Amino acid sequence: MRASLFITCYNDTLFPETGRAVVRLLERLGVELDFLPAQTCCGQMHANTGFRAEAFSQARRFVQLYRDAECVVIPSSSCVAMIRDQYSGLFEELGNEELRKQFAALLPRVYELSEFLTDKLGAEDVGAYFPHRVTYHASCHGLRGLHVGDRPFRLLKNVRSLELVSLANLERCCGFGGTFSVKNAEVSTAMLDAKLTDVLATDADYCTALDNSCLMHLGGALHRRKKSLQTIHIAGILASTMDHPHGATP
Amino acid sequence: MDPRVAPPFPTAALPILQNMQLRKNVAHATDVIQAKRNNLVAEKRDWHELRTSAAAIRAHVLANLGTYLEQFETTCTAAGGTVHWARDAAEARAIILRILREENATEVIKIKTMTSAEIQLNPALEAAGIAAIETDLAELILQLGEDEPSHIVVPALHVNRRQVRDIFAQRMGLPELSDDPEALTAAARAYLRRKFLSVPTAISGANFLIAETGSVVIVESEGNGRMCLTLPRTLITLAGIEKVLPRFADLEVLLQVLARSATGERMNPYTSLWSGITPSDGPQRFHVVLLDNGRSEILGRKVERQTLQCIRCGACMNTCPVYRQTGGHAYGSPYAGPIGAILTPQLEHMQHAQSLPYASSLCGACYEVCPVKINIPEVLIELRAQVVNQERSQPSRWFDPMYLGMKAANFVFAGAARFRLAQRVGHLALRLFTGKDGWIRRLPSLGARWTMSRDLRALPDQTFRDWWATREASATREASQHEERR
Amino acid sequence: MMPTSSRQAILDRIRAATGGDASNYADLPRNYIHRGPLDNASRLRLMAERLREYGAEVVESSIAELPGTIARRLQSSGRHVFVAPTGLPAEWLSTGFTWKVDHQLSHDEIEHCDGVVTASFAGVADSGTIILHHSPAEGRRVLTLLPDFHLCILRASQIVETLPEYFARCPQSPRLATYVSGPRATADIEMTRIKGVHGPRFLSVIIVRDDD
Repeated sequence: MRASLFITCYNDTLFPETGRAVVRLLERLGVELDFLPAQTCCGQMHANTGFRAEAFSQARRFVQLYRDAECVVIPSSSCVAMIRDQYSGLFEELGNEELRKQFAALLPRVYELSEFLTDKLGAEDVGAYFPHRVTYHASCHGLRGLHVGDRPFRLLKNVRSLELVSLANLERCCGFGGTFSVKNAEVSTAMLDAKLTDVLATDADYCTALDNSCLMHLGGALHRRKKSLQTIHIAGILASTMDHPHGATP
Repeated sequence: MDPRVAPPFPTAALPILQNMQLRKNVAHATDVIQAKRNNLVAEKRDWHELRTSAAAIRAHVLANLGTYLEQFETTCTAAGGTVHWARDAAEARAIILRILREENATEVIKIKTMTSAEIQLNPALEAAGIAAIETDLAELILQLGEDEPSHIVVPALHVNRRQVRDIFAQRMGLPELSDDPEALTAAARAYLRRKFLSVPTAISGANFLIAETGSVVIVESEGNGRMCLTLPRTLITLAGIEKVLPRFADLEVLLQVLARSATGERMNPYTSLWSGITPSDGPQRFHVVLLDNGRSEILGRKVERQTLQCIRCGACMNTCPVYRQTGGHAYGSPYAGPIGAILTPQLEHMQHAQSLPYASSLCGACYEVCPVKINIPEVLIELRAQVVNQERSQPSRWFDPMYLGMKAANFVFAGAARFRLAQRVGHLALRLFTGKDGWIRRLPSLGARWTMSRDLRALPDQTFRDWWATREASATREASQHEERR
Repeated sequence: MMPTSSRQAILDRIRAATGGDASNYADLPRNYIHRGPLDNASRLRLMAERLREYGAEVVESSIAELPGTIARRLQSSGRHVFVAPTGLPAEWLSTGFTWKVDHQLSHDEIEHCDGVVTASFAGVADSGTIILHHSPAEGRRVLTLLPDFHLCILRASQIVETLPEYFARCPQSPRLATYVSGPRATADIEMTRIKGVHGPRFLSVIIVRDDD
């Protein structure tokens, strides 16, 4: 099984440990991974803020780059949602027939990480070990965009020594919303407060999700409030084993 | 609430976010209605099929709007109604005022209709010396309290019983009034009953117009609608052109999804249907004012047309996590919440309320609950593109940090070499703001909007791509050393 | 040049915006439940249950016993002056009460009646909805609006389970219709459901077993 890793612009820069965890995890599962260094961004931030032409040029770059990939794995449900929901509209409006065809051929080969594990590899037990109390936050794009459903739960339930605690108001948005977090910072913060109340009520050690974007927002506030609860991308949990537990030096 | 003068959403939200009473009321009300709605949807085995049909019927109507409106005009006129067409708010106001003058009206009783707020009818009536009496309990509370609605279906949910008591006591001259909801309601009942029985002219909106029969349908909870539709001599119904349905039987779909979505009930307490004039039953003069006011323009836009499918249930509002924090006032428009965020700027031809399409985290909860499947996030994104396109020709854009940032980011994303350079530059620059524990607590400019409530972890010393490159390099070295040894 | 009327202007804009649509009304998807599965007895039970949830009083009666049942309901209501639609069957006008038959009664006259008795067009069990088409036996709309008490006679054969079944039954669409689902309520003061803003606060229903 070969796969090409699209790390995403923000993971690359802000959360490289998630990328390292994805590599460790997938190689452990026998996946031959490659990383195309020409990659940059999927265009989501520009598309969602209204910079259509700019988003198009980034989308075109993505499609051309991964034209020959066997499949593409992306540890970010919002980026996959961008590709699945908005690329064809962008190419319809600004692209040409050739590009649309390339995209149509590529689309079925693009996977969010949890989808890749459960659907493509057929794996729910990835041999992980993470002896902590964990609560899962359902990022909106994964929940409603990709319909990941219970994939993350199935994966987490098989992690040895992990105590999974459910989060109240699971489906309510945490308030990140990309540039919304800055353009509407006060409302974003109010939504964040509500989400943190629910997260802290779980008394978990870690809050995990499919997206570091939500976790950056939650984690940033947790740190500001000097809470001990940490955030960790699901890849970090799934990469953690008894031989190589999370927290040990790589 | 006038979108032309309302402050932008982020500004308007500020005082509301500090009003804990309002936030508590809004959160409570929306949670209650949302829970009721969810229960009834779970109970309804054919909910998905109903939703599919409702969406299809509404889309079909819009695609054939001219035909159905003309049919409605014919059948309503044949039934004894008079149909008027208003291109915009000013024209609608003028038509209504003309009818009222012909009636020598000094007072009108009104059933809640957002369309009337949209055209700013009440101030025009007041200016013409005509008292407009709102008869929905919530609207009455707001009118007497000189306030604005905060929710489509429960407009006074930001007002608690003590506040209502105070308003009624003062405006109805009832100093001894208690704040018990029963007593308050009884006071409203008595006050309004006198009006219902004496005022000869009423103004209503419409939930649906039936093309096949020329009928109008209104759904309500309190009975004031029935009072206004039945007792006066003259009835004026103001309706957006998108309200039409093809046939009477289409109500079998729309009524099922509307009540469950709006108030979490299987059916709302009262639904009234009437066709033109019926001799000896109800008003003997009946006017319908069909309002365009920007709707035909929305109709012509591929992605935006679905905005007009809306049946004003309010479910999007009840599920919206943004609305839950701000209530309706922050939107500066009769239409608030997710639907308001897309409808209001469009009715203003994208000349006003440009902050509203950004008043969303794009979570998609609204789309999930919309009974007519309006893909609100899709429309929000489309409207954002229009706002940015306006900005592209404005000189002020060069002073807008967000605009500059987006242009810079696009430049950077166009090539890996630039991207890596930007990563290095960013890493260096942010070192200036990084504390000893490896976290950033304060950033300048746009960054300050992040750090107002969140820390930011410092940029790691090594990006993922550099780590990968290093790993590849050492793997290659090992492989070639291995080769050499052989 | 003739000024374009508003009507023409709007229709022109709409035509320009919609071009030529292909979708056919008859092809619209309608895969929702049209007919409910409940048998007669269950349907009646459901109707009565939903009505009671709204706080309405529900009793059953045979056809033969109907006048007696009506008399008893009116007796227990404690009211005396009732308004009757012109087409109300004479045997329903129980003795011992004051009856005002609606020969163009004024609103004030109706306002001074304690209650009203009417027939109905249909009942929808799923939502506990009573449907009036305002025929002579159901009365003008104002009759079931102003008085505080409404005694409604609903035949079992008029009760359907689902809303689409009601629509299927309408031979023609009604010129006037009122759908009543519970005594009126308002949720506007701190979300408290209150009985008694406008319209009859007391609904009493007799379900007539004309299906036996």
